[in-house]
Amino acid sequence: MDRRTVLKGLAGAGGLALTGLSAPAIAQGGSARTLRFVPQANLANFDPIWGTQYVVRNAAALVWDTLYGIDAKLQPQRQMVESEETTDDGKTWTFKLRPGLKFHDGEPVLAKDVVASLSRWAARDPMGLMIIAIQQELTAVDDRTFKWVLKQPFPKMLYALAKNNAPCSFIMPERIAKTDPFKQITEYVGSGPMTFAKGEWVPGAKAVFEKFAGYVPRQEKPSWLAGGKQMMVDRVEWIVMPDAATAAAALQNGEVDWWENPIADLVPVLKKNKNISVDIGDPLGNIGSFRMNHLFAPFNDVRARRAVLMALSQEDYMRAIVGDDDALWKPLPGFFTPDTPVYNDLGGDILKGKRDFDAAKKLLAESGYAGQPVTCLVAQDQPITKAQGDVTADLLKKLGMNVDFVATDWGTVGSRRAQKTPPGQGGWNMFHSWHAGADCITPAAYTAIRANGDKAWFGWPNSPNTEKEIAGWFAAKSVDEEKAAIGRVNKAAIEDVVYAPTGFFLTYTAWRKNVSGIAKGPLPFFWGVSKSA
Amino acid sequence: MLSYILRRIASTLPVMAIVALFVFSLLYIAPGDPAVVIAGDQASPEDVERIRQSLGLDRPFLVQFGGWVWRILHGDLGTSIFTNLPVSAMIGQRLGPTLSLMIVTLLLTIVVAVPLGVVAAWKAGSLIDRVIMGFAVFGFSLPVFVVGYMLAYVFALELEWLPVQGYTPLSSGFWPWLENLILPAIALGCVYVALVARITRAAMLEVLQQDYIRTAKAKGLGQGGILFIHALKNAAVPIVTVIGIGIALLIGGAVVTESVFAIPGLGRLTIDAILRRDYPVIQGIVLLFSFVYVLVNLMIDVIYTLVDPRIRY
Repeated sequence: MDRRTVLKGLAGAGGLALTGLSAPAIAQGGSARTLRFVPQANLANFDPIWGTQYVVRNAAALVWDTLYGIDAKLQPQRQMVESEETTDDGKTWTFKLRPGLKFHDGEPVLAKDVVASLSRWAARDPMGLMIIAIQQELTAVDDRTFKWVLKQPFPKMLYALAKNNAPCSFIMPERIAKTDPFKQITEYVGSGPMTFAKGEWVPGAKAVFEKFAGYVPRQEKPSWLAGGKQMMVDRVEWIVMPDAATAAAALQNGEVDWWENPIADLVPVLKKNKNISVDIGDPLGNIGSFRMNHLFAPFNDVRARRAVLMALSQEDYMRAIVGDDDALWKPLPGFFTPDTPVYNDLGGDILKGKRDFDAAKKLLAESGYAGQPVTCLVAQDQPITKAQGDVTADLLKKLGMNVDFVATDWGTVGSRRAQKTPPGQGGWNMFHSWHAGADCITPAAYTAIRANGDKAWFGWPNSPNTEKEIAGWFAAKSVDEEKAAIGRVNKAAIEDVVYAPTGFFLTYTAWRKNVSGIAKGPLPFFWGVSKSA
Repeated sequence: MLSYILRRIASTLPVMAIVALFVFSLLYIAPGDPAVVIAGDQASPEDVERIRQSLGLDRPFLVQFGGWVWRILHGDLGTSIFTNLPVSAMIGQRLGPTLSLMIVTLLLTIVVAVPLGVVAAWKAGSLIDRVIMGFAVFGFSLPVFVVGYMLAYVFALELEWLPVQGYTPLSSGFWPWLENLILPAIALGCVYVALVARITRAAMLEVLQQDYIRTAKAKGLGQGGILFIHALKNAAVPIVTVIGIGIALLIGGAVVTESVFAIPGLGRLTIDAILRRDYPVIQGIVLLFSFVYVLVNLMIDVIYTLVDPRIRY
């Protein structure tokens, strides 16, 4: 007799009704056909166009398919599309859908569904908006063919349709895709390999996906969002765990199978467990940042911004975020994701070598800084922003700046950073964030690198030179041209200090050893993942 | 009595109205913007503004408040900004786990704390008394999350007796339901057991000095009868009061406990809603909690009349 039996018996001895006794929770859900996954965050809504948080994108990739998918070599590959043609002038794209595509309600995927889906996506996506700006028409030619006619060529069309950056161009039925892109959809009829079990959805706690028998995967091997999305399990359960220690314990105890992003502090414990595998989750990693407000003193003067860059130690930031694990970070003399085909850190010298506080203080004085408070917004509920905020406060103090450290939560930072009022009147001087490396490979989906003044991301940098070089990247037609353009963007953005990159860092993912097929990538890919009992 | 209960229920209406106005005003002036969270970190300020407009968050305070009150009067708590689900449905999803946790904790507390308090009073000044009161101080001092982690480490990871996290509804069987609640209930109940045990001891000490206890002893009644029938009944009013107050503690403690043990209850819903600024959900939960507080107070007043016939309304 084991202890659990004794416990059951004790409960029975208490006169408690034990009829209908089922298996203990430890053993429940452990079926080899069910994968239990702890996501990075709560799935609070499920419209990947309306809400562009990464967690929504990750869940949506299970339920909705895309016309093209980006692969592990960062190349767009056909997914729902069978073939495409473009005219010699590059202005007309004609696409043909694969036969046999079905939505989860059994209806065929038609060109009119694609037209409606692309229209809704384009209204919310930075690249989509660029296409709309030069669009002549987007029409369905027949049930399987649609045509996108532009006023001028757009060489990055396939990349735009394949990219994994939120929002992705997921294909939905026309009736759903006609929803205003600024309003949430209420039906979740997908086109991907899994259906969304709406009845089992407990926002903040659980989301369930079930295998869609009518899905026709491609024949190629899966590679990120491309290839055959073959589901090896029947059911994927997302179990939201707000507490990292609980998630670690649940993984060790076999109550969950895969934890998307264990925090660095708990990784040593997981690595010691013989039943658990730990590895880098996303090789594209993240780029830490703090943004300075270009509208107000002292950071409206480029010399003050450069002074910060001269003194900034990326090692300090990275160690504050990832701890002592050297495998998890590297210095980044620029803005773009390292180890990618078009990476170029031209002009990044100011971030390299020994930090020069004397020169930085001199430059700061030249900028006219006279001890006015610098309002530094630091979200304490996000470990990454909290760690960066503490390092920044120390850095600014060493530079002789008067830091007004505003310790708050991410929700408050999110709204306050949109204020264009002076720092003393509800505005701000700097806040911290980080960007997924997958978004920072090129300027395509890299909102934070844009420097078009009022239209730029928070901080509103105005650097015509940076914008000119970004336009040059969009016009580039080969990898070499792109790489050269990226170098020029990096140089211009460093010179004008669009923002301060604090380094490149990676995170781990962890899973039980009876799970196999987990691929490294910018989001958790569930196709090809299997589980033994 | 019935008219008293009806009067008390009627008196909750102005209380709820004041709570509603207070909560709505507080959320209106609090920093934070749900549209920012929805739009995502890379969204442009224009996108955020469009979402604010579509949610009606750009409308004047009085228009928003009037609309909310009108819906409440029609029994509609509104719709979550994020999930697009009715707030009442979301609360309904979360009510079971929180109620289960509170019931198990409450039962555990009464079963453990009251006898401990009685024994401590009976053996006042002895080693047993000191051990029990030492335990009470310990229970008061340890934060819920510390107790939670310790319990999970010992009973889930090391001994593998119980699960670390989660909730199984009662409809899936009694043991699976109870199994998930044992550790959270112990963690949450520690402070509560300590509080009730101390109050029980103090109340019992006073009662045990009374003449009728001496009379009972002189009549030759057994120790158990004296303690649990005569003395405890007369010490019950402060004990019932502190148990009632403790329910408020339980609601607060459930927020932490549900996070530590990943129980999908109202506590976690509250935290999630606050962090995301999901105003309709926050307002719905606060209204519910304030109603529960009022109801608990009413129940305690009614219980007074049962344990002490001298009390009449």
